[in-house]
Order: sequence, then C-alpha cells, then structure tokens
Amino acid sequence: MLILKPKIDFTVTVEAEITPELATKEIREIENLKIYYGNNVVKLNDLFEIKKEGDDKRLILDGDFSRVKWIGYGMTDGEIIIKGNVGTHCGSNMKGGRIVIEGDADDWLGAEMKGGEIIVKGNAANLVGCAYYGNLVGMTNGKIFIEGNAGSYIGEKMNGGEIEIKGNAGDFIGTEMKGGSITIHGSCGFVGGDMKGGEIKIKGEFELVPTFKLTEDGWVGDVNVKGEGKIKKF
Amino acid sequence: MHMLHIKNGIVIDPKNKISKEKMDIFVKNGKIVSEDEIKKDECKVIDATNKLVVAGGVDMHAHIAGSKINTGRTMRPEEMRVVRTIANKFRATVGRVLLTSPAIGYEYIKMGYTSAFEAAQPPIGALHTHEELDSIPMVDKAALPVFGNWHFVLKFVQENNLEKLKTFIAWALERTKGFGVKVVNPGGVEAWMYGGNVKNLDDQVPSFNVTPREIILSLIKATEELNLNHSVHIHCNNLGIPGNYQTTIETIKLAKGFENDKRQVLHVTHVQFNAYAGDSWRNVSSGVEEIAKTVNAMDNVTIDVGQPIFGHATAMTGDAPFQFTLHKLLGAKWSNKDSEVEGGAGIVPLVYLPKNPVHALQWAIGLELGLLVDSNKVVVTTDYPNGGPFTEYPYIMTMLMSKKMREAELQKVSPYVQKASSLPSIDTEKTLDEIVHMTRSLPARILGLPNKGHLGIGADADIAIYNFNPLEVDPSNDFEIIYRSLKSAMYTIKDGKILAKDGEIVQEHWGKTYWVDATGKVDLESISNEIEEYFGYYSVEVRNYGVEEEWIKRPERIVI
Repeated sequence: MLILKPKIDFTVTVEAEITPELATKEIREIENLKIYYGNNVVKLNDLFEIKKEGDDKRLILDGDFSRVKWIGYGMTDGEIIIKGNVGTHCGSNMKGGRIVIEGDADDWLGAEMKGGEIIVKGNAANLVGCAYYGNLVGMTNGKIFIEGNAGSYIGEKMNGGEIEIKGNAGDFIGTEMKGGSITIHGSCGFVGGDMKGGEIKIKGEFELVPTFKLTEDGWVGDVNVKGEGKIKKF
Repeated sequence: MHMLHIKNGIVIDPKNKISKEKMDIFVKNGKIVSEDEIKKDECKVIDATNKLVVAGGVDMHAHIAGSKINTGRTMRPEEMRVVRTIANKFRATVGRVLLTSPAIGYEYIKMGYTSAFEAAQPPIGALHTHEELDSIPMVDKAALPVFGNWHFVLKFVQENNLEKLKTFIAWALERTKGFGVKVVNPGGVEAWMYGGNVKNLDDQVPSFNVTPREIILSLIKATEELNLNHSVHIHCNNLGIPGNYQTTIETIKLAKGFENDKRQVLHVTHVQFNAYAGDSWRNVSSGVEEIAKTVNAMDNVTIDVGQPIFGHATAMTGDAPFQFTLHKLLGAKWSNKDSEVEGGAGIVPLVYLPKNPVHALQWAIGLELGLLVDSNKVVVTTDYPNGGPFTEYPYIMTMLMSKKMREAELQKVSPYVQKASSLPSIDTEKTLDEIVHMTRSLPARILGLPNKGHLGIGADADIAIYNFNPLEVDPSNDFEIIYRSLKSAMYTIKDGKILAKDGEIVQEHWGKTYWVDATGKVDLESISNEIEEYFGYYSVEVRNYGVEEEWIKRPERIVI
C-alpha cells in the first residue's frame, strides 16, 4: 500500500499517471517517478509525501488532488482511494480494478473506460465515460457510480458498461450512445440525441428531442440515425 | 564553398540511362558537377560503397498545405494525439495520417523524398496555402491552383475565347503563385453550387453554356499554347462512382491530337478512384485493364495511382459533390468548403479495412494500375491523405517489385478481390530501375522540372542513398530488406546538404517554392476590364487578391 499526501497547494496542474501498480515498486523508484508540474518535469517526492506499507496494490491519496490529472490512467487492477477531490481524466482508459473518490471528480471521469469500477461519493463534472474528441467510441465496459450530481455530456458515444447517477445530471446524456446503460435517479436535461443503441433510465424530469417514438417499452430512437436506443422512466 | 564526394555508390539514374553502375557523384554549391570541378581535399566524402544511390524522390500529387488539410486537422483532433517527435533540436511533430507542417517536411526527407507538390490550391486560399507551404521545412514545393470550375474559365470557354483564357491562366498563376493548371471534376463543382453534379463529359454546366469536355479541351489548348512546364492535371468527373472507368477513358482520349515533345499533354491523377467498373458497390469491379490499354496506346498521357493504404486516411478533394456522396455512404463526419465562385472542396475521414470488399478492391486497383500501365507513364502516389500516408510509398514500391509480397498480402484481404480484379493473376514484377523512374525521373519530367529527378551534371543535388546493394538484393524475394531500407534513407541530401542520416533528421533546411510566370506571353490588359468588373462584386478587392512574391520564403520564379 502506498500513501501520498500533497506537500504544497498546487498553483498549476500536476500530470501524474499513477496506478496501483506503483505500490509494488521499490521506494526509491517511486520517489523518483517523473511527473509534470505545469511544464516542468519533477519527481514524485518533490510534490508528495510518500509512505509505503507493504506491496499490495493499493493507493491512498490523502488530501486535495483536484489539480492532479490522469490518476489511474489505464490501470488494470488494484485499488485507488482518494480522500478528497480529484482532477480531470481520473480513471480514463481504465481496464480493471477500483477507484473510490470520497470527494468530487472533475471532467473526463472514466473516459473511454474499458473495465473496472469507479465510485464517486461527491459530485462528478462533465464528460463522464465519454469518448475523447474525434474518437468514435467512449466507455465500453465497467461501472461508474456517482452518489451526487453529474454535469453535462454523460456517456457520449458509450458502447457498453454502466453509469449510475444518484442525483441530477446536465444536458446531452447518452449522445451518440451505441450500447450500455445510464441510470439517473434525479432529473436531467436533453437526452439521447443521435442515440443508436443502449438504454437510458431516468426517474425524474428530462427533455427529449422530438426524434424518438413512444412505444410500450419507453421511447425508441433516435430515428434520425435509424437508432434503436431506449429511454425509459422508472 | 560546400562540396561533397559520394563514393562508390551503385547508381540508378533512369533519365541518364545509368543502371546499377558503380560510380562517384560530386556536388558543389547545391548542384551535381563533374569530377574536375571540385577540390578533393576540401570535399566531405560520403562512403556509399555498395549502397543504392538515386535522385531524391518527387511527390507530384499530395495535399500538404492549404485550407483542406488544415480543416482536416481541425475536424480530426484524434489525429493530433499521435506524437511523432517531441520538440528538441527540431520542431515537435504530431499526426497519425494528417501530419503537421514540420512533420510533412521531416517525413519526406527521412524517406529520401526531396520535392512535394500541393495538388489543389483554392485560388482565393492562395495566401494561406503559401503561408503553410512556407511552414514545411526541408523539401522543395509548389502548388497547383484549381481551374476547372472557376467563373472566368467557364466564361471564357463559353465565349470560345482562347486568347482571354490563356491570359486569365497567366494572370491567375501569377496572382496565386501557382505552378500549373489543376482541374477538379470540371463543371461538377459549379453544379454543386446548385446542389447537383455532372454525370458525363457532355452534360451542360448550370448557368453556363459549356460542358466538361469543352472545359478540358480548352484548358489543354491554352496550357499547350502557353507551353507551361506542367500539363493540365486532371481529377476526372464521376470520381468514386462505380462504372466511372468509362468517363476516365473518354477523358484520357481528349488528349488525342495534342502534341508536346517534352512531356505529356494531360496528366490524369489518382486514377484508382476513377477506375471502377460495374454499376453499384455490390457488383463493382476493376476497370484497370481498359484504362491501361488506353494509356499505353497513347504517348501524350500520364497518370498517377492514388494507392489506398490500409488504415486511417482522410478524403479531401476539391470535388465537393463527391465528398458529400462519400459522407452519405460512410456516415462519417463531413466538412464542405466553398471557395466562392472558384471551386469547392469537402473533407471526410475514413479507414481502409483489408476485410472490406470495396476497400480491398480499391487497394487491388491501385496496384493493378502500377503494374499494368507502362512504367514510363505511371507515378506512385497515395493522393495523400486520400489514400493514406505518403510515408507508405515504400510499401507500394516494394509491392510492385515483388509478386511474392503481393501473394502474402492478398491472403490478408477480402476474397472479393479474387473475382473483381485481375491482381492475383498478374505476374509482372517491376524492376528497381522502373520503380526509381516512377518515383523520381518520371514525375520530374511530368512536372517539367529538368533539374529534378536525376543525377546528371547540372541537376539539383537532391540525392537519396539507401542501405542495400541493388546488385545483390533481389527485390522479388528480399522485399523486407527493400521495404525497410526505402522507409528510412541512409542519407538524404537536399541542395547539397545532408539533411537526414539513417532515417534521422540532422539539420533543418528551407526548400524553394516554384511558381510559373507566363505573364510575358500574354497581354494582361485584354482582360483587365472583366477582372475589374468582376471584383466589384467579390468578397475581396482585386488589389488584395493573391500573393506577392516577397511574401514567400524562397520563391523560385520560372519565367516562360
């Protein structure tokens, strides 16, 4: 297990693609890991207090990580627990394992995620489980669970996996979605534009574009793109 | 004084009829000179013992600068995530297929190519094109403005006024600092302004009493009478439509009756996209045999291939209606560019997949063209980035030389190729000499650049040295060695300077921008009224239109 604590308040963003795999390395190697602080290359122990306890694949990030980007990028197993807020691109391209965020998450949470699980105790910002601009497929597998609210552009182009939001969400939910499911317990804005497949379930209020057909099994569309996505109330 | 002595190389120089001869090459002040002109003790000696020494490659048709590729970059952020090199001694380069400007220069040089021509410059975008060409380091370059749908061209063709058409071409080349006459889907892009297209050479163009046939014939006549360096460079009508090979053949036959003892009178570009038989994508097949027969029987037409490379590509042509069709066909994103009344363009990203029957057929058609057309008439291109990256030219070159490699590649593609094309049954293997001709001396001749593409005395010292011995390596069996060697030149020398060594850039250099000045042959006054009147309605004033020579980094004016 590895415990990281920021030494300073970051004035610019930190780019640190750290995964639980790091906890299995030698302490010297961990300390010397190269990360970016703004446009400067620095060592991990320049910015963080590092404590290593055993070799199990766990990372505890203790403090405010809201300016630290790319945490858990591409991780395959193990666990990351963030005891505060986290910055953008957390769990992006993740393939397995678990990330627990006790505070809020920033944009691009679990973008293009391929497996594993992300739990956010606070709120998440925009672009959860999305495809990066220009790419054709977003999240393909795994699960993202958000206890608070989420922003706009949730699950854009997603093609599998599951996103569950306990609170409300913003506009453009499941745009160009191809598969998988999104569940929103609160209300949200525009849903399902250019949706081709998959399912969106919403408990509260939402706005629907006029290109969906009402069937016994909820709304089906987007007929504009001959889609067969489903939107249901529950 | 800068001098080089390239020692003991095995030289292939088709223009000077040198085939795999062991000889030395001498360079002084950026030119190739004879032995007695240099001082051996002041020379830098390059040991090229038993290595292939050829002229630098000439890419005569690629989309490397201007609004099209730039819009492509803007609409494809995913392309820009591929980092090629980080900024260090040289500029950072990024791009998967759509490279950034420095990446284009560096990648050409790494491969041993030293000149590249932007093949479709929207006239009103001339300044942008030249700004961008000026951001491409290393290579010599030029741009071909598009004429086939320009208001003035249609007007003068309609009036049957050849003198004014010639004057206009000279005026336009001077204003856009262009190199030659490019024609894209003549009449079709004008029809696109009304949401349509033209279907054959005798369709009438909306609002003008002209047909594509008349546009092409008039432009050939005008180009030949002006005696421009390069002939008319045409992207045929009906591009990308099954059954279009007949239009292509008809277009090629329009060159009958014209003569030029130095070069062709019509260059038909990326013929692969215009060589489909059949009447739908379900029964499409190759129309190469007929096209090859026609081209081989004529001595005044040349073509280039437009070979698709499996993987990512981006279709970008001045053929706006075709791009819309492609967008509808693929469901991919699309950008439509309208350059006022001069032409148009469209951009659509695409991926060529080996298992897709149509893509596999396109791939086979490209290779058929390379194999069946006389190697004195066909140039290797990918129509970058329409067919794929130019960095895969070595793949095409190697495939044309090795039946064995083709057989292995045929195993990987859709079996549709077996019945829809003749590629599996073609036994031809081009020789290394022919391939050197098809990538060096032939494009230089087609473009009308006597100092390019060869190693004779007086030629530009653009030289590529590849790390294999052509006397020992057999292209048909050792295709892997050839492919690897052609991908990264051992040395690339441009204007007498060593720019790349073992596939790595060693110094930066700025190449020349060629443009053709034919204004001395015409009376510009004769069209000044028309131009004045027209610019009264245009979005820019005539005095703000075009590019001044002093704005270009290293302009090279060719006065004819």
